[in-house]
Amino acid sequence: MSPNEMLAIGMIAVLFTLLLIGLPVAVAIAASAFVFGYAGFGPALFNLLPSRIYGVVTNYTFLAIPLFVFMGVMLEKSRLAEELIDVVGHLFGRIAGGMGVAIILVGVLLGAATGIVGATIVTLGLLTLPPLLRRGYPKFLATGMICASGTLGQIIPPSLVLILLAEILGESVGTMFAAAMVPGLALAGVYILAILAVAAWRPALMPPIPAEERAALPTRVLLRKVVVVLGPPVGLVFAVLGSIIGGIAAPTEAASMGALGALVFVALSGRLTRDLLWQVARSTLLISAMVFFILIMAQVFGLAFRGLGGEHLVERMFEWVPGGVNGALLFMMLLVFVLGFFLEWIEITYIALPLFLPFFANAGVDLVWLGVLICVNLQTSFLTPPFGWSLFFLKGVAPKEVTTLDIYKGAIPFIGLQFVALALVFLFPGLATWLPEAIGW
Amino acid sequence: QDSFAWRMTNSYGPGSPFYVEGPGSPTDIIAKIDAMSGGRLSIQHFAAGELIPAFEGFDAVQQGVIEMNASNSYFWSGTTFAAQYFTTVPFGMSFQGHMAWLYHGGGWDLWQEVYEPFGLVAFPMNNTGVQMTGWFREPIEDLSQFQGLRMRIPGLAGQVYATLGVDVRLLPGGEIFPALERGVIDAAEFVGPYQDRRLGLQNAASFYHTTGWHEPSTTGELLISRAAWDGLPADLQAIVRTACMAACLESMTWSEAVNGEALVDLVENQGVTAAVLPDAVVDTLREATLDTLETAANADPMVRKVHDSYMAFKAQHDRWAGISEAPWIKNVLQL
Amino acid sequence: MQAISRFVHGVEAAVRLFGWIAAASCVALVFLVAGDVVVRYVFRAGAVWLQELHWHLISPIALFGMSYALYCGEQVRVDVFYERFPPWLCRIIEVAGGLLLLVIGLYATKLSLPWVEMAWVRGEASPNPGGLPWRWALKALIPLGFVLLALQGLAHALRHGLNLPRPDIR
Ligand code: NA
Ligand code: NA
Repeated sequence: MSPNEMLAIGMIAVLFTLLLIGLPVAVAIAASAFVFGYAGFGPALFNLLPSRIYGVVTNYTFLAIPLFVFMGVMLEKSRLAEELIDVVGHLFGRIAGGMGVAIILVGVLLGAATGIVGATIVTLGLLTLPPLLRRGYPKFLATGMICASGTLGQIIPPSLVLILLAEILGESVGTMFAAAMVPGLALAGVYILAILAVAAWRPALMPPIPAEERAALPTRVLLRKVVVVLGPPVGLVFAVLGSIIGGIAAPTEAASMGALGALVFVALSGRLTRDLLWQVARSTLLISAMVFFILIMAQVFGLAFRGLGGEHLVERMFEWVPGGVNGALLFMMLLVFVLGFFLEWIEITYIALPLFLPFFANAGVDLVWLGVLICVNLQTSFLTPPFGWSLFFLKGVAPKEVTTLDIYKGAIPFIGLQFVALALVFLFPGLATWLPEAIGW
Repeated sequence: QDSFAWRMTNSYGPGSPFYVEGPGSPTDIIAKIDAMSGGRLSIQHFAAGELIPAFEGFDAVQQGVIEMNASNSYFWSGTTFAAQYFTTVPFGMSFQGHMAWLYHGGGWDLWQEVYEPFGLVAFPMNNTGVQMTGWFREPIEDLSQFQGLRMRIPGLAGQVYATLGVDVRLLPGGEIFPALERGVIDAAEFVGPYQDRRLGLQNAASFYHTTGWHEPSTTGELLISRAAWDGLPADLQAIVRTACMAACLESMTWSEAVNGEALVDLVENQGVTAAVLPDAVVDTLREATLDTLETAANADPMVRKVHDSYMAFKAQHDRWAGISEAPWIKNVLQL
Repeated sequence: MQAISRFVHGVEAAVRLFGWIAAASCVALVFLVAGDVVVRYVFRAGAVWLQELHWHLISPIALFGMSYALYCGEQVRVDVFYERFPPWLCRIIEVAGGLLLLVIGLYATKLSLPWVEMAWVRGEASPNPGGLPWRWALKALIPLGFVLLALQGLAHALRHGLNLPRPDIR
């Protein structure tokens, strides 16, 4: 192992340490990367940092972050959607876990509207976490459901991950979108089944609305509430989705339809004041800044990892893998999972994929299927502690009493469910390959 | 003997055929250089995004942090408009003429002159051949259809279309397909049959207007830091130059081969209608292009110098092509 | 002590101002992007510079937002152990974090200034015809953002190190 590769490993170890002692994530990433990068290759390569940061802060697709956050914050601050989860709970009656199922379904809808994980997690967290906790869901379960559900957006099209995978695999974006559709919904299905099963087994974990409270709410009033409370959020999701499907807006721009729609809803309800608009603008800024702060500092880490030859480490490991397509596939899946502990998904894709692609292409592996496997697996990297984007983003909008440990604990069962979905796609490639062929994309 | 370890960044993403991988691609050039130099000049390749974003290579090489960048010179037209001419010129010359101008008509020397102030040298390193006008949801039959036509088209061609009323849209590569498929945009330009099919554009729009007036022969650029270049011994310099020349031919012939196959496949098997733009439309586009270029040349002496050189060479070459290629295609091949 | 306190307040006032600009950019972004979508759909028209302005606005949001988030105490951290630490240790971590940001911010500024200067010297504009001029100005937001971050990092360290009263955050 070269000295630089040892530095790369040291950099990862120090990052973990700094994260664990509670240094802010952005600071921990940048500090470890600057120190070890500088020790390994001096200042030269860091001159590329401004270019990399410029790439982040002028990235067209990241427009969706402030736009979606604006929509979520507007709904939250205007209290239009405050009773969202309650109303859903009432609709599910005495069935335990109903609100959990609702979270997953909202995640599917939001995911179909955007491909930016941070945006969905934040929107979902703002709207559903406080009421879920009020309803007696344990913190770890509530946060786990939100993280998993909000992360669905990266496999349900449109999605940034799929766009990047399509580019690298040389498949059309349309093919990848179609291929990921069924596995994405299957993953949501796995989540829902698991939630219902756990709820049936331990109703106390996911309590339904108490019977007397339900009895106190006449059906007529409930139906009115369904329209009033469910209307705005569902309407906004359909405004976003509808503008994509209706050919009015490209996927990234469509987020603005949601943001504008939220503004219009609030204005119609008569709650739009200058003060409210300022509050919304300020919160939108803070939450977006939290996402960008980490994204910007992750550029230092990515640069240092490359500069120290981290990708050669990975390359060398691949050489040890016993032959056979399945061996290599298993190794790649494991690698993507492990890299998820300390790298963000773009770096993972750039490092792992080009390395294995020639091998799999030569072995005649269906690249569309391979891409979907990677996409499902990458989803875990958003959820794996300590460096899981979804976990950070939820933490950023969670009430103070929710700790990172709660969120970590909550993510683990859902990582397990990921493996179930991954196994399903592995065993039944048709899940991925059927739809693109059926619709001719 | 000295040996060198360099880095090359690329404006195109990992895995792209022609732009990153395959015959005559930048990674192929690297392999050629490695083989010819016996490993004395080894170059590590980074696709767009791996080390820096797609269009940051100019800065990185100018700073001397990276020795080489693979791209197209027209991406730097915001820095120096004259760079546009070395890639391709709308209504300009085909592969034969363009390469003849670069290698034997003073084009390459002008290229170096334009980059001199930035401390850079450049070599032509590949060529796509003629590109296609693009994919349209409705065929263009007359000029009035350009009014309010929403088209994804970057660069100089976009400017020309805009003068004819086209609403020019800038969309990132990944959003072209969904936007065109749903009708957010009415038309999109990408490359040629092979690359376009790879993007799946035939599933988004079914009219393919062929033979691109806007990019008659798109030349790739290998950008090299002047300081790094001057530090190379003469034999390695010769190897780099030769590898680039070889790649020009190899990439061009590869493009000819795969585009032929792809076009037949698109038309025969995938329900695509391929047709050139009507003559009247092409004539108007030509006028608008010449106006646009003339305006740019009047604004900057360097652009004027390159423009005049290109146009003078073109006038001569057009006459030659008119008695050699044109009748060959028309009368002998009877196409 | 008085001087330090005045310094901290001065930095925070600047960070608040840039925070206000960034927050206003968020609202502007909503109207610009939504407006562009509607105008394109209804009137089939638009302008290249307007489309560029959309993603130009991410820069102030992201870059000024960093120091504003630090000022507001909105930072994502792994608090598994942190929340069990005694107050003095948390304070040390805060001071260390602030000082690290001071160094990181200054270093990133030093790295980006020559890069901005290059764009300035050659008068770089958008490569898209009809696009926005002055690309150097957009690029200059990067060092500006990092200078603010460095200053706010120092203010953060001073505030926690010297136990200055918490700022009144609206
Ligand atoms: Na999505
Ligand atoms: Na992770």
